Amino acid sequence: MQQEVEKYSKPTRILHWVHLVSFCILFLTGLVLFVPGLGVIAQDSWTRVIHRVAAVIFILAPIIYVPMNWKATLKGVKEAFSWSAVDIGWLKAAPRYYFLGDETGMPPQGSMNTGQRLWWLIVLVSGVIFTITGLVMWFAKTTAPAAVLQWMVFFHDVAFIVAGTMLLLHIYLGLLHPLMTEAWKAIYKGTVSVEYAKKHHAKWYEEVTRGKEVKS
Amino acid sequence: MAEKAILYDATRCTACRGCQAACKQWNENDEFIPTVENGVQSVNRGSYENPPDLSPTTWLKMEFREVTPDGKVRWLFNRRSCMHCTDAGCVKVCPSGALYHHELGFVAYDKDICTGCGYCEDACPFDVPRYERNFVSGIAKMDKCTFCTTPGLDRIAGGWEPACVKTCPPDALQYGDRDQLVAEGKKRVEALIAKGWTNANLYGEKELGGLHVMYVLDDHPAVYGLPVDPQISAATIAWQDVIQPIGWVVGGLTILGLGFNYLVARANINREKEKKDAARS
Repeated sequence: MQQEVEKYSKPTRILHWVHLVSFCILFLTGLVLFVPGLGVIAQDSWTRVIHRVAAVIFILAPIIYVPMNWKATLKGVKEAFSWSAVDIGWLKAAPRYYFLGDETGMPPQGSMNTGQRLWWLIVLVSGVIFTITGLVMWFAKTTAPAAVLQWMVFFHDVAFIVAGTMLLLHIYLGLLHPLMTEAWKAIYKGTVSVEYAKKHHAKWYEEVTRGKEVKS
Repeated sequence: MAEKAILYDATRCTACRGCQAACKQWNENDEFIPTVENGVQSVNRGSYENPPDLSPTTWLKMEFREVTPDGKVRWLFNRRSCMHCTDAGCVKVCPSGALYHHELGFVAYDKDICTGCGYCEDACPFDVPRYERNFVSGIAKMDKCTFCTTPGLDRIAGGWEPACVKTCPPDALQYGDRDQLVAEGKKRVEALIAKGWTNANLYGEKELGGLHVMYVLDDHPAVYGLPVDPQISAATIAWQDVIQPIGWVVGGLTILGLGFNYLVARANINREKEKKDAARS
């Protein structure tokens, strides 16, 4: 049997799935207001009720996760905001890899590669924007000035476009792309094979072998 | 078909509020009685105005205003209701098409498909749409003047004028072809100017592409509490005309790109495999 190494701890995987499912529900119940042809589905506000239930889960999940997983959180946030020249190299080499399967130009990566960290940064930033603008629209709908509410909708929409399209990319890479064989296992079972770790997350694997890894 | 409109002549209005009552009666809107039981502390607001504001069941309301130019008190009346704009902010932001332009120009409303989002409430330059809204669940429905085209209560389709116009005793309200009413309004404004009302004007002829409720005023619109040069907000334009189209392009290209990537990647990877298999055998 192949040797496995743990990539994501159980709490992180649970957070991922709770957040993904709630975000997909938020995405779909928000989409009905974005696509004119679907607007009819939203009549009588029932999609808004679902949107709000999902929003509560979406906001509470990280609030519960963070104090229970301080180290992983700190490590994650730090990673989202540390960018270097290596990332440019990755982005340059990425098309050849994702289209042609040619891995030669890809620089060694940590536990998250550049693309994953870009998505992770979008998740963090858009999550904050969604939460703030959404709470204002929910709780200040009758009290805030019209202009404020309109700009809240505007930024909610911007975050929706950015995070929504990147969500499609995320789901595509996780489920459909012919090369992404172990990504699914990493977030479902929590482990990847040693061979995969060496090949795709060389820097991280080195940390693991030296016992210096902060669990995520 | 020729566009229809309402002409309101503030100089003829006696503020009898017959239009207010007729609007409620025809559209089956219960009278809102501002009592403690209805959640309103009855107060003297120093005015004959009643009820205090437009509401989901008050689509039309007469406003009373006391102004004192040159130290003389003038008691001015203003009809407050949907202005039925040509460039209507509410129609622009309505995601379900519940608000739409009637073939006769004004802004009609299909309450059944209203999602209760509240976008129109914030996009209206005249602050007209009103909501019944549950604070926690967000379940809501908008209401506003439908130009008497509510299904089942459609006076216009029946060939009648709106209820408010029908009831108006001094003919301060008139209904007809918009072009004719513009001409009529201009004539009255000229007559007013000739009488010495130098600030007289026809409000709504050009505002927001032309309103379908126009006002003959003997003074500046601001004196009557009407917004001078109303505009569709910058947020509405940035959102509907910039961000939404960008969203469509970004979303569409992403889906196309992913499909393209899938086909190319799969073909290449299969070719690599075949090469390996061929080398092995």
